[in-house]
Amino acid sequence: MSNDVLVLAEHQGGALCTVTFELAGRARELADAWGGQVQVALLGASNLAGQLGSADVVFTAEHPALADYNPEAYERVLLSIVHARTPRLVLLSTATAGLDLSAALSVGWDAPVVSSVVGLSAEGEGALATAQIYGGKLLAEVELAGSRAVCAVIAGSFPAAAGRRDRPPAVEAIDAAAVLDGLRTSVTGVVTAEAGDVDITAADVLVSVGRGIGSRDDLEVAEELADALGAPLAGSRPLTDQGWLPKSRQVGKSGVTVKPKLYLALGISGAPEHVEGMRDAELVIACNTDAKAPIFDVAHYGTTVDLFDLVPELVKRLKP
Amino acid sequence: MAFGIAGLRLWWLGRLIRAGGPAPGRTKGAWRRLGAELVEVVGQRKLLRRWQSGIPHALTFWGFAVLLFTIIETYGDVLYQQRFAIPGIGHAAALGFVEDLFSLLVLAAIGVFTVIRLVDSPSRRDRKSRFYGSHIGVAWLALLFIALVVITLLGYRAAQVNTGDFPYGAWAFASHGLAHLLQPLGHGANAALETALLLANVAIIMAFLVLLVYSKHLHILLAPVNIAFSRRPRALGPLQAPQNPTGAGRIEQLSWKQLLDLATCTECGRCQAVCPAWNSDEPLSPKLLVMSLRDHLFASAPLLIGEGRPPAGANGDRPRTAPLVPDVIEPDVVWSCTTCGACVEQCPVDIEHVDTIVDLRRKLVDEGRMQAGLQEALQKITRQGNSFGKSERARARWTRDLGFPVKDARKEPVRYLWFVGDFASFDERVQQLSRTLAQLLHDAGVDFGLLYDSERNAGNDVRRAGEEGLFEMLVEQNMTALGQASFGAIFTTDPHSFNTLRNEYPDHGLDKRVLHYSQLLDELLASSAIAVDSLGARVTYHDPCYLARYNRLTKAPRQVLAALGCDLVEMPRHGVNTFCCGAGGGRIWMEDSAAGERPSESRIREAAALGVDLFVVACPKDFVMYSDAVKTTGHDDRLRVVDLVQLVEQAARRPTPGARASTTPPVSRSSAGPAPDP
Amino acid sequence: MKVIVPVKQVPDVVEDLELTADGTDVDREFLKFVVNEFDEQALEEALCIKESSGAAVVVVGLDEPDVDQALYGALAKGADRAVKLVGTGEGWLPGHRRSAILAAWLAGEGYDLVLTGVQAADDLDGQLATLLGARLGLPHISVVVRVDAEGSAARVRQELAGGTVVEEAVALPAVIGVQAARQAPRYVSISRIRQAQQSGAVEEVPAATADGATGFRLRRLLAPERTSHAEMLRGGPGEVAERIVELIRAKGLIPG
Repeated sequence: MSNDVLVLAEHQGGALCTVTFELAGRARELADAWGGQVQVALLGASNLAGQLGSADVVFTAEHPALADYNPEAYERVLLSIVHARTPRLVLLSTATAGLDLSAALSVGWDAPVVSSVVGLSAEGEGALATAQIYGGKLLAEVELAGSRAVCAVIAGSFPAAAGRRDRPPAVEAIDAAAVLDGLRTSVTGVVTAEAGDVDITAADVLVSVGRGIGSRDDLEVAEELADALGAPLAGSRPLTDQGWLPKSRQVGKSGVTVKPKLYLALGISGAPEHVEGMRDAELVIACNTDAKAPIFDVAHYGTTVDLFDLVPELVKRLKP
Repeated sequence: MAFGIAGLRLWWLGRLIRAGGPAPGRTKGAWRRLGAELVEVVGQRKLLRRWQSGIPHALTFWGFAVLLFTIIETYGDVLYQQRFAIPGIGHAAALGFVEDLFSLLVLAAIGVFTVIRLVDSPSRRDRKSRFYGSHIGVAWLALLFIALVVITLLGYRAAQVNTGDFPYGAWAFASHGLAHLLQPLGHGANAALETALLLANVAIIMAFLVLLVYSKHLHILLAPVNIAFSRRPRALGPLQAPQNPTGAGRIEQLSWKQLLDLATCTECGRCQAVCPAWNSDEPLSPKLLVMSLRDHLFASAPLLIGEGRPPAGANGDRPRTAPLVPDVIEPDVVWSCTTCGACVEQCPVDIEHVDTIVDLRRKLVDEGRMQAGLQEALQKITRQGNSFGKSERARARWTRDLGFPVKDARKEPVRYLWFVGDFASFDERVQQLSRTLAQLLHDAGVDFGLLYDSERNAGNDVRRAGEEGLFEMLVEQNMTALGQASFGAIFTTDPHSFNTLRNEYPDHGLDKRVLHYSQLLDELLASSAIAVDSLGARVTYHDPCYLARYNRLTKAPRQVLAALGCDLVEMPRHGVNTFCCGAGGGRIWMEDSAAGERPSESRIREAAALGVDLFVVACPKDFVMYSDAVKTTGHDDRLRVVDLVQLVEQAARRPTPGARASTTPPVSRSSAGPAPDP
Repeated sequence: MKVIVPVKQVPDVVEDLELTADGTDVDREFLKFVVNEFDEQALEEALCIKESSGAAVVVVGLDEPDVDQALYGALAKGADRAVKLVGTGEGWLPGHRRSAILAAWLAGEGYDLVLTGVQAADDLDGQLATLLGARLGLPHISVVVRVDAEGSAARVRQELAGGTVVEEAVALPAVIGVQAARQAPRYVSISRIRQAQQSGAVEEVPAATADGATGFRLRRLLAPERTSHAEMLRGGPGEVAERIVELIRAKGLIPG
């Protein structure tokens, strides 16, 4: 049993996801406290290993079955790594891979798992994890005193900067062929989101609408404001699910993450899945009639004026 | 032969209508029904509401009643003997006068109808014409036939004068007058004319009889029948537990009364003209709905009755009639209805459109076919008992900002139980109004309490959206809560809740008096429990559909306004003719699809033209709808939407410290059973 | 083709959640419980599979508050069987224990697919789909938005971030965590649910005693600190709009 912390690196479209650095940063803190190493498992895309400078060692694995994300393949390789290296703690995010793997790891490795973690610190020999439940309405403090544990962490909980280091890590290639024999799951195709008309991740200003807009017809109101600011319209998941906006406009965990200079949130409550996608915007101004809406925890400025009263006033002042 | 054709057709219709389902309660109260026959059929009451077409129609109706005598005389002449006289009546001079007078009046009426149909034609006015979608050709034919009947009648009577066969004296002025014109033709020609026109008259009447039973003109025979079986005291009224809980999916699942409704439709379009959905370019026209169903009924006859029935297939399955939605009626048509009842109120033959629409909705709900918005609202009501999806424990949170505790009627007896309703409890704008009313009542010393978190949505619009099962569940829950509470009477802020509590809950055991808060305010002002100064404002008042049309409650709010010294300017569509805000029937939970002007916006324009400062409402949904409409139509600088209770508060004199009005309003009526119309 | 849909009741998040005296659970006494919204999606997807390829759908729940309404609702929507596992006690059930109980019952049932919601609001120690799949030694895929089952394999569409969708083929039997069904969950009228209730068709089966400890110690639950970071702008719409335009101008973002 070691004092190492193992991070599953997440990557998509040939780039490492920011959350990987967030996890690596927190792993460093914990590993230092316990006197262990930071290890990163990078499955497929081993060319990205050089960016993981904050790790002491990066385990890479290449195999045709790892060319695309494959839950069963990833599970088998990850399990083989933890059985071989016996880390103290394994960190994943709550994205798809985390949902597929964290609990499976718990069963296969016989370790406790904590989901939706937003806080994690060393406590003596063990750790204290703080997790969100009921959509963030409550927090749970969980003691991880045993010799092994798995944590699935919500993106944005830890600073990414702590996980970036400009030095080449040690890389160890793992032979995955043995465990990847006889897979029952295979990838038959990958569909990237319709290259929408507009790439909202490139916009400086975003006007984003949530359920508070009420009906599809009322989107016009927000569109006018978006036009006046020369900005694209974005929205939260409920709107894209209903087809009021194309999926390419969805901000949030299963949509895109945006970092505009200005993010105007109209009628958005601020559920964790949405906030994950926009918390790093430079200036967030939120409009929601519910003063207790969680969006005001991430906004810089807020108002409880009804958006249907506010937006016409904004448009009046913005249009010449 | 004509009698044969007509008779067969009527018999066929009778069988077809009887293929419908049962309709209990339609034969009760024979005296009331007789009264309705006298007032509505003989008295032409509903028709005379629109005098331009009402008066000519009344004249035509009475005219034909009178001319019935002439028709009998004609038959007698043809079949029995010349100068046939009806036994007992004979050839009284007065009869001759009346026959001639009404002949001319009918001709004049036909002239007016012709003008109306030319001016209000769909080719000129498209959807705005009430005849849009009606069978225009048949209508012109009917007018022609009626005119010909009268012309040939007068013609042969005139000829009879000249041949000496005419039994009436000079009192029959028209016949004699026309005779003068025909006299120069000579005796022989007149005799020939007499025979020819007499036969022509009979032939035209016979042809008309056949045309009648195969067209909308059948209403002549069916209207008295439909009115005899219509809901009493008036066609617009409470819904009943359905005979068919899953609603009407096929034409034969409608009741025989509903099928009779379909056959009776005269295509007059008065319902279409007042429908808020049709007026905002939604696809629903009550008239077109009825016509479509009627045409489908007739077309389905071979499957429903007798000879034409196709033989059973190899596996014993009979071909079935088509599913009504979407094969005969589009779903959007069914969902566009606000259940405001303007159509039923206008219909001269007492067709009950709302009942049929609700039955169609029941089927759609049973099959889970509805818009997402409605589905969500129903799910929220199922889970939380309110359409806002908020926790029931939050129902009385609006009382927190009051300076006094509001009694819990479940724990201590109260004089009045205040059934607040969803919007008045949960919508922030309306919560203010609730607090205002609570404060007023408190200051006036009225003893009232709430059901707190035991109150549920009353279910009026849930029932009208077609979710009968959920309605029953809500009634059970509310009745349990009401059973635990002790109170003398109920009052409510919401006309929809008022309607169902007053008219439908008694079937489930509610035996207390139900008031609308305008009635309570009226009593308080009348007894000076609330002392007010005159406001002197120029106002107009919007009658909520469920108060004015369904419950004839129009006086109490106006008395309140009068007591406040307001100068009331009525909108053209007021009282029972009020124009719906568009929120009823579950519409407030559905998405707006129409391109046209919303009903609420049309109403604001109607009010703005009056030059008043205030638009007074007495319903939480009206308050919300019109507050929005006044902004979207850009009238918010000129017209302010206020609730009745806000005006009372403005006018109320501040009580002197320490003194409180100690009079509680007197109970002037018995507390059992529904209150008589105020 | 037999599809099993485990469902779970969770507190309706619309409610105010209060803690028990010892702070380790939510006070359940006055709470309203609803079906986990993702389990509703899973049921809908199962019913769609049934409609397109004639599978049998079995819904299984534990004896939790208001679960009867959920089970009868599922029957009214078209599920073929509904099973309630009783004797599981009250209060929050860790995912590990839940998956052990279900795995024991599943062992006695044949099945091709297990569809359940991808996650639930009260998941603290992992998600059911993954726990079940791992425990049963079956392939499992989560965050799925479409399942087409054919014979001995299924084709699924799994969502990744940024709207990317991976199409996968998986050998049956398999466990799927459903994010969204191919269409919105259907409405079932109260009348139909009541009819189903009268049929009394929910089977009650004693649940296996199962361990499945979480392996961690829950110290306490607590309400998050509402550190509202936003500076709230005061005034009416006009004044607030003025302020906001100022802020936008200060950042140089007014176009033109």
